[in-house]
Amino acid sequence: MVTTLALAVSTQLARLNWIDILVIAIYFVIVIFIGFYLRGSSNTSEEFFMAGREMTAWIAGLSFVSANLGSLELMGWAGSTYQYGILAMHWYWIGAIPAMLFLGIVMMPFYYISKTHSVPGYLKLRYGDGARALSAVSFAFMTILMSGINMYSMAIVMKVVLGWDLNFSIWVSSVTVAVYVALGGLKSAIYNEILQFLLIWAGALLVPILGLIEVGGWTNLRQQIATNLGRSDYVHLWSTLGHFSANPMGVNWFGIVFGLGFVVSFGYWTTDFLVVQRVLSADSIRSARMAPVIGAAFKMAVPFIVILPGLIALSVLPFKLVAQDVAVKTGQHSFNEVLPLMLVRYCGPGLLGLGVTALIAGFMSGMAGNVSAFSTVWTYDIYGAFLNKKATDRHYVAMGRWSTLIGVLVSVGTAYLVQHAASIMDYVQQLFSFFIAPLFGTVILGMLWKRATKEAGFWGLLAGTATSISLWLWVQHDPHALRYVALSPDAKDMAENVYRALWAWLVCVVVTVVVSYMTKPRPVAELEGLVYGASVLPKEHDDHWYQRPIVWAGTVAVVFIFLNIIFW
Amino acid sequence: MRESFSIWWFAGVLLLAYGVVILSTGLWELGHPLPNPPVLSNLHAPIWWGALLTIAGLGYTIGFRPRQTVNKRRK
Repeated sequence: MVTTLALAVSTQLARLNWIDILVIAIYFVIVIFIGFYLRGSSNTSEEFFMAGREMTAWIAGLSFVSANLGSLELMGWAGSTYQYGILAMHWYWIGAIPAMLFLGIVMMPFYYISKTHSVPGYLKLRYGDGARALSAVSFAFMTILMSGINMYSMAIVMKVVLGWDLNFSIWVSSVTVAVYVALGGLKSAIYNEILQFLLIWAGALLVPILGLIEVGGWTNLRQQIATNLGRSDYVHLWSTLGHFSANPMGVNWFGIVFGLGFVVSFGYWTTDFLVVQRVLSADSIRSARMAPVIGAAFKMAVPFIVILPGLIALSVLPFKLVAQDVAVKTGQHSFNEVLPLMLVRYCGPGLLGLGVTALIAGFMSGMAGNVSAFSTVWTYDIYGAFLNKKATDRHYVAMGRWSTLIGVLVSVGTAYLVQHAASIMDYVQQLFSFFIAPLFGTVILGMLWKRATKEAGFWGLLAGTATSISLWLWVQHDPHALRYVALSPDAKDMAENVYRALWAWLVCVVVTVVVSYMTKPRPVAELEGLVYGASVLPKEHDDHWYQRPIVWAGTVAVVFIFLNIIFW
Repeated sequence: MRESFSIWWFAGVLLLAYGVVILSTGLWELGHPLPNPPVLSNLHAPIWWGALLTIAGLGYTIGFRPRQTVNKRRK
């Protein structure tokens, strides 16, 4: 997705006037102000890295979902909707909601009561230094690269949409992020993620509203898409997933349910420290359990501002969008420009500025999330764990601030690097996914199975990661290998991603189980607070039944099932 | 240090500022039509959307304004 954005060379879509510039400037002023304002409340490591663990359920929950809601994600999935139809919705529903609820109800108590500062930190407590080091180094490396890719993608979008200079966009956004995260730490990042979340809705919600008015409602939209495309499989969520060849995405229900809905989704939402860090900042175990549930409720609504504009574009745009390589050659607009195109279609001065601000805020927030997570993992799990174990708390805070600044600088370097090697960006995104699927296997076995041993944690994670990388290399070397990885000759790229994750997870779990039975388990007493069955979870006191997280998780689950049936 | 400004107050200020700017733009456009209006400009989206943002912004700015009281749980 990023590669395709990077290659965009189409002509400028819109020109901002002074009102739009004012709207963007207001956002930057408030963001910087918040950084300076929160500087005084980020003096200890607990404050700087964990936001003092005093975020309410609502703040942690919105931040949790917002950290994932970058503009790259928004624009990418809007483009994928234009390309593949409503199937893209799976990445927001089955590819997120069950995992978020599982995190809140099952996993969060262990993360929270272990008082870990990070996911690698949990691995240290559960499996020892080997698994921690492997996970921390891979996470830090990938996070900082992703941050740079996010930055470059933003600069490319600003160039395509507004004609802005790449250097201007990269440096203004990175300096702003560096200032507010280095000053205010995680709390500053979280505060800005809340603002970003509101901005995205304020800036993007008009597009589906006006779009539905223009097409005459949902029923008309479906009919018009079927007429325009001459096929009806673009508006069905499940009924076309019987076989790889029956839908535009080239994937089947098994891959979506088990590859995406189980491994990829659970891996990302329950073990990627970028999002888990937000929930760890909650002020109580109840808030920590409620935060993912609140996040899930809002996540379920995001397709309204991402998927729907992509579908509406299929109906109302007077021209066809094309793949990026075609767009580069012909000067047409690509799939990835669908969201900016729809913004320009419906938004005049002021509203357009708000929409562009929402995109900028999304990119900056995504970058800030990556940088703050990097800073924490670097300071706690690499520097503090292996390089300087006995420093003062003040020293670690200073290291956190410096690693934030250095992380931003490395990100800027990455942003410039990928300009000259566009395909690297896709590879890095793939690399990032390599570590998430097996990590979920390692963490979930560690939490739910007392018998899992220290050696098994390390070797399982390593074997899963190696499997994922090997499968990817195999398909890169021989594209026909995809039929073996995804178990079908009709499988396409999306199927490869979900099936590769599934294999990686399976290998991780099998190796972890086998090695566990070959090695000596830790005494159960040492697993207190880390593993299900060996821990006494603190009782939560809710005044009323409707305040219980499980009740709200059940409500979200029912709505989730209902929505999937509606769009079947 | 405990912050006296809640995040929701910041959110209110931001929405209020945007609401005022967009509402004003919409009202100005009533008397000065755009040379290249967007699709459905006859619905005057900047006016009702700007008004909505203004109301929401006012609600949050006033509801979460800094107070002298202690032990507030709001952030």
